[in-house]
Amino acid sequence: MLGWIFGLFGKKKQFSLGLYGPPNSGKTTLANRISLDWTGEPVGKVSEIPHETRQVQKKEHIELKVDGKRFSMNLLDMPGIATKVDYREFIPYGLELKEAQQRAKEATKGIIEAIKWLEHVDVALVVLDSTEDPYTQVNLTIIGNLEARKIPVIIVANKIDSKKAKPDRIKSAFPQYKLVEVSALKGDNIHKLYKEIASSN
Amino acid sequence: MAVQIEFVSSKTLKQLSSEKKIAMVLESVKKNEILVLEEPLTLDEERMLIRETMKVISKKFPGIEISSLSPQEEDLRSQFIRFIGGRTSGLTVVGPANLVREMKKDPNKLRVLTK
Repeated sequence: MLGWIFGLFGKKKQFSLGLYGPPNSGKTTLANRISLDWTGEPVGKVSEIPHETRQVQKKEHIELKVDGKRFSMNLLDMPGIATKVDYREFIPYGLELKEAQQRAKEATKGIIEAIKWLEHVDVALVVLDSTEDPYTQVNLTIIGNLEARKIPVIIVANKIDSKKAKPDRIKSAFPQYKLVEVSALKGDNIHKLYKEIASSN
Repeated sequence: MAVQIEFVSSKTLKQLSSEKKIAMVLESVKKNEILVLEEPLTLDEERMLIRETMKVISKKFPGIEISSLSPQEEDLRSQFIRFIGGRTSGLTVVGPANLVREMKKDPNKLRVLTK
């Protein structure tokens, strides 16, 4: 009833949208795409080196209008969740030893922070790389924990612009969830994603 | 590096709280053991394990590889098996990332690839 009354007076719905997923699945590229579309400003820096996002990055009060429905959301770009962080994996990207070790240290803290936030998002986008095997325990743990908290989950099969992309593998691994195939880099199907976000809150 | 695999029985696991289970798993994998848990970790325990692993990552210990096979769906048959004290499958395998390169799984199979 209250929602109906607020609706009459044009009060916008407000919610927080969390972007979850493993490292390098394109979460920040997608967060930037969403934020640029609606605010003209990016959320964070993108890099090919894993664990570029090591703190939760927020963009608050993003106003969206999708199919006549207006809402305001806080976008939360989470550090990628992983079960291992090996500083030696950063060295081939040209990082000095100390830089790599510092990055690893910050990445572990970022993962703890992302896990803490699992309970505080209203809708979650689980961003998966369509060129990778989706059937990993980390993906199952993230999605299972969100589901256990009754947080609506939209799976985003990202990087469909790649020739190696196999979004069908993601579809068959998680058939019970809403899934949108996108290229965050090129913007393909982003409007389909906005429609799903609008219908999930 | 020699591969040491330790099996932990369902009976042992049932006696432990989630916190103690996670501590036991971490203690073993830090000693370069691959653990096979006869009772799979719950989603919440997996979340806790990832969080606690992050707290102990060091130059020597880069983290873990983990994979679980879920127990059978809860139908009448499995309820009966549980009632008479039996198990309806499911397990978790955890290993140190400096020893286990990858764990691949499809819904019913699990492959552990070591370095």
